[in-house]
Amino acid sequence: MADSVTDRRWIVRVQGVHRYFKRGSERVDVLKDLTLNVPEGEFFGLMGPSGSGKTTLLNLIAGLDKPSEGQVWVGDDQISAMSEGQLARWRTRHIGFIFQFYHLMPVLTAFENVELPLLLLPLSARQRREQVMTALDLVGLSDRVRHRPGQLSGGQQQRVGIARAIVTDPTLIVADEPTGDLDSRSADEIMNLLEELLRSLHKTILLVTHDPRAALRAHRVLHLEKGKLVEQPEMLGAE
Amino acid sequence: MRFLVLIIKNIRRNLVRSALTSLGTIVLVFVVTLVWAILSFLDAAMAEKSQDFKGIVTERWRLPSQMPFAYAASLCAGAASQPGDVRPDDSMTWQFYGGTVDPDKRTRENSLFAIATDPSKLRTMMDELDSLPPDDAARLDEAIAKMQQNRQGIILGKDRLASLNKRVGERIKLYGINYRDIDLELEIVGSFPESRYDNTAVIHRDYLLASLDAYERQTGKPHPLADKTLNLVWLRVPDTETFGKVANQILTSPSYSSPAVKFETAASGIATFLEAYRDLIWGMRWLLAPAILITLSLVISNAISISVRERQTELAVLKVLGFRPWQILTLVLGEALLIGVGSGLCSALATFVTINYVLGGIKFPIAFFGAFYIPAEAILWGVSVGLVTAWIGSIVPAWSAQKVKVSEVFAKVA
Repeated sequence: MADSVTDRRWIVRVQGVHRYFKRGSERVDVLKDLTLNVPEGEFFGLMGPSGSGKTTLLNLIAGLDKPSEGQVWVGDDQISAMSEGQLARWRTRHIGFIFQFYHLMPVLTAFENVELPLLLLPLSARQRREQVMTALDLVGLSDRVRHRPGQLSGGQQQRVGIARAIVTDPTLIVADEPTGDLDSRSADEIMNLLEELLRSLHKTILLVTHDPRAALRAHRVLHLEKGKLVEQPEMLGAE
Repeated sequence: MRFLVLIIKNIRRNLVRSALTSLGTIVLVFVVTLVWAILSFLDAAMAEKSQDFKGIVTERWRLPSQMPFAYAASLCAGAASQPGDVRPDDSMTWQFYGGTVDPDKRTRENSLFAIATDPSKLRTMMDELDSLPPDDAARLDEAIAKMQQNRQGIILGKDRLASLNKRVGERIKLYGINYRDIDLELEIVGSFPESRYDNTAVIHRDYLLASLDAYERQTGKPHPLADKTLNLVWLRVPDTETFGKVANQILTSPSYSSPAVKFETAASGIATFLEAYRDLIWGMRWLLAPAILITLSLVISNAISISVRERQTELAVLKVLGFRPWQILTLVLGEALLIGVGSGLCSALATFVTINYVLGGIKFPIAFFGAFYIPAEAILWGVSVGLVTAWIGSIVPAWSAQKVKVSEVFAKVA
């Protein structure tokens, strides 16, 4: 899929998406008729107040949730039509998720944490080891492979989280407030790292953040308010 | 196998909880193994055979069976009296003599219940004594030979020897308990090899009969039990057809009218004898064992449920990483099964070794069985009990783990 004007390939296409939840008899609309396109290789930022639907949108794009109405495409896959099992398999290969609170397994070493998604792929132990070491090298933690999360600083834990997100060479990296739990220095280091990955690996990154400094690193930033995109940037695609 | 490291590390996450769950499993598997060992032994004893089996002749209407010794010779011949009548392959008579070495202060330790029989039948008619290892067989044969030469000989099981604090070669005097005023001077001529006969005592029947005759000579009247001294007659038959014919010969013979006798298979005889323990055995089989299994499932269920509840976020992260629901189910079940199977195996192995080789059997006084041993297949029971109870106990928490909603979990985290 490419935009006829810019001839850029859309990696993410969100078309007329509604997402609502039922709370008893009440219907809560979180996303309302939302359309969004993200081109390949873009560092895309999403901002908005709490409860505006940022994480819901991120979950839809990452295949963790399904829209109530509308379609979500990532690459050539219409993920909104996939079953839970298909989505799980798809996520392994196509999505790298970076969490605000890192969410590393406390019982596993840095190496084992990064290796986790590779356990789901048909790779030999040697291939897994090579990929894990490459990922940890990229985030500058090749000397911490045997450390458990509790033995690492917040910034280092987030680096392990990033290594885990990129180790499968995913189509899309989704970061949900990756600097939200870090001090400003560590936050800068993480944002530098994401920019470096963007440059060296040519990945598409979706960043949800409250932090204006982090948002400044994005190529473009959209704002969500009450389930709607309130600022139409110049690169917003039109189908 | 790829998930094994993750499973093991999750078990090690809370070592105290895993250790306590494992310990609970070990204790419960231990108890259920003991219960099943006893039930399995009794089931085997009551299982009917069709080839080369034993039948038992007892008094028809009274327990304990007390028949005149005059019945012995013809019963041992299967009541064969006419040409064409069939005879059993082998036979053995049993007379029960209870005695104590200290009549003033009778205790369980200083008393014994001896089988008075023809010693030459010990190796051919008593279960397991016909298939002893060569060394044990030679020692027992030597003891039997001594008893045949010396009718005042007694062969004792090792536990009975220990409780009397006696050794082979020493002499004992038994003061009659059921045969009042029939006291026996005995020489311990040997011991049984380690087996189910550890608590058994065997004396020569001729000595008991001679003592009854001596009583009559001394007192001028027969002993009250003189005409009731034969308790059981064992007959070995080659097949069920022969059993039927011998049974017919015995039951139709006019020689056994007062008292009347019955002839049944050993299995049936044991089952009849165990009737008195029916409620106890029923309770062990249908109340105790199931209660243990249910408790074990609940112990495992409790531990796994707590573990799953604590790890909601981690399970959600696994889903985000691409773990499918069945893989998460496998991880949680795997933890429970590893604890259950590992603990079950350890417990069964420890039970097998401790009971059989350290304690010399379970001293559970039921019927005339002195001790029960843990069969080798109990190791498989331990594994199976661990496996099944762990599966039952963890399937619900594992199912709830695989149903974790990622968006809901992270909404709570945020």
